[in-house]
Amino acid sequence: MAKCDLSIQLDDPDRVYAGGGKVAGTVRVVVDSDVKCDGLEIRSVWRTHGRGNVDHGIIETVTAFSGKWSSGDSAEYRFELPIGQWPPSYHGHYLNVDHYIEAQAKIPWAFDAKASESFLMRPSCGPDGATASRGSGRNSAAGKVFLTVFLVIFAAVFFLTPVGWIAIPFFGLIGGTIWFFRSFLPKWALGEVTCRVDAEDVFPGDSVTGELILRPRKNIKINGITMQFKAREVCVSGSGSNRTTHTKVFYDDTQTLEPAKTLPAGGELKYPFTVAMPADAPYSMDLSDNDLIWSASLRVDIPRWPDWTREFKLRVVPKGTSDSAADPVQVAEAPIIRDAVAPTRSQQTEVASPIVRNEPSQLAHTDPPEPIPTSQNPAPAAEVTFGETAAFLWPIRHERDQVEGLVAAVTGLTFSISAFVERRLLYSGDDDPHVYPDGYAVWARFTDPPLPLVLYVPHDLADEFEQAGRDMWTGRGTVVGWDSQHDRLQIKLLAEPS
Amino acid sequence: MASRTSNPGSEIRPTASWRPWQWCNLGRNPFGELTREDRVSVAECDVQAIASRVSADRQAVQLIGDCGRGKTTRMLRLSDMIMDSVYVYLPEDQPCPVIPWGRPLLIDEAQRLPRRVRGEIFASGLPLVLATHRDLKRPLRAAGYTFHNEHIGDANDAELLCRIANRRLELCRLGPGQVPVLSIEDARWLVKKFGSDFRAVEGFLYEQIQSQKNSHGQMRFIDPVR
Repeated sequence: MAKCDLSIQLDDPDRVYAGGGKVAGTVRVVVDSDVKCDGLEIRSVWRTHGRGNVDHGIIETVTAFSGKWSSGDSAEYRFELPIGQWPPSYHGHYLNVDHYIEAQAKIPWAFDAKASESFLMRPSCGPDGATASRGSGRNSAAGKVFLTVFLVIFAAVFFLTPVGWIAIPFFGLIGGTIWFFRSFLPKWALGEVTCRVDAEDVFPGDSVTGELILRPRKNIKINGITMQFKAREVCVSGSGSNRTTHTKVFYDDTQTLEPAKTLPAGGELKYPFTVAMPADAPYSMDLSDNDLIWSASLRVDIPRWPDWTREFKLRVVPKGTSDSAADPVQVAEAPIIRDAVAPTRSQQTEVASPIVRNEPSQLAHTDPPEPIPTSQNPAPAAEVTFGETAAFLWPIRHERDQVEGLVAAVTGLTFSISAFVERRLLYSGDDDPHVYPDGYAVWARFTDPPLPLVLYVPHDLADEFEQAGRDMWTGRGTVVGWDSQHDRLQIKLLAEPS
Repeated sequence: MASRTSNPGSEIRPTASWRPWQWCNLGRNPFGELTREDRVSVAECDVQAIASRVSADRQAVQLIGDCGRGKTTRMLRLSDMIMDSVYVYLPEDQPCPVIPWGRPLLIDEAQRLPRRVRGEIFASGLPLVLATHRDLKRPLRAAGYTFHNEHIGDANDAELLCRIANRRLELCRLGPGQVPVLSIEDARWLVKKFGSDFRAVEGFLYEQIQSQKNSHGQMRFIDPVR
């Protein structure tokens, strides 16, 4: 039986909260035997669920309590936490996004007690805020670099071998055939074709405008000119050879710009188009392994001839609080979006402001230290201690965009460091330039906060590390980067310990 | 779109049932992807026997089986259970990641180990658990390892499926009260259809439950006409 039970009660559970606002409530703890709690953490998070790998972001964590609870205790802890700006709540087929308040009581030598409560969020940010701080997706940049290197090496090897010389005409023929059928033939029939979409960022309920211009060389019969709007969820599950992509088209609307007719030769035919986006169109999302993608594609259907097509990616974005009236609340059954009735203005007029019925009690909330210098505002190493650096990195260590900016600011700085050694690396990777010749790397943790580190140990310090075992080691090292795969700060140790 | 109601104070409020599976007391579709932590918590496999086989240097266990049978789940469970262990996944077509010292060292997709790295690891003599599609007995033997092969998937029957599915359903519980339960009859039908490939079962059940969003009545895991 659990030693303690947690439950969360939001002050206003039925409300749609505004992104960037606050959510308040109470965590209740009921204890049925004496228990030591290393920390009752309360977090505001967002998380995907569905077919794709779970993407998540932690907005803020507070420690509401640490100490002992006695048998029969019943305690309540007030909280007021910020809500993420992005992504908004969304419930589709393969992709779902929810915001949660999570509570976790860390109990030594037992399963942690946990509780979570979801709530709806709609964005109050404008288009610029419509990007998520991510909890995953850290392999994408490394993957792109690897792919580029692979392609360069492959091309170099391929073009320098006899097999390559034989294959070049073959691949050229395939490429040329594709170009001939997909690009040359349609243009040969239609003449010069120009097409533009005025803005790729659109708001729900707004119109997508643009123009298609044809200059046929001869009279040409067409079956029609159409514009197809499509929205799809694209979710990736697994990785490597187990990687599977799941796609669900939930909106597909084709509009005819020109019915079947014969286009006359010689003139310039202009087809301006204005197509209204659904008022409840879900926002575009790019969440690493979970994407919601809108696109528009134009097609000139030529009978018994390859069609001319062009696809544009659209980004459906929120307008922001300045004019939030058009922002829909995305609690929708996405597949039936076309049948939706647009919300009335009275339903949408204001972004809900947070209600705080009671002042939150004093939480054991760790206040952030003073602002740390950034790359735009550098400071000498002497002004920043490693403890301060670690304190800033600790809460954002899973937020790749933020952590890389901060690490860039402290890269090259040398600190006095105390760390507990965790384990030695058997293999550091061929491409790790920081490993000393005859040296090795270890994983370690800073003392407080326990920020994970990679320490590159020179040969001279090898004996010292052997003796240290898993005890604390103190010395000096220079920050050289961030291991984004394991979320660890990389530090190259100096041969002369202080 | 789901219906919305306005309320005094100009605040936006959804209807009470904005959660798609509130009607059956579930917070989400239980057969979607899980986090690593959740995957371990619902795992229904006894890894004690594997752990006991890798208690000393130069001992290894190979977990051999097709995709979707439970190799990675066992590795994650071991990683969770043994404090000194380290789990390493080798991605396809990407550089070999860093491999820390671990006791035992758990290597997923071990058939992808580059020969040189494999040599270094096997030379260390650390106890190993290797999830692999290819039997690595020759290099293991050459490095002086004694090893045991465990064929994963042979024990994937209806009873096991039933336990795993019901743990997943319980994991997604929304609040107090009953949650749907997969019956042994339904599990038998699923095993008959998909064999030991529990990942395929998972995909099937995801679609079944997804089709019952905002529904009512009783959860159906398989179609009545089958």
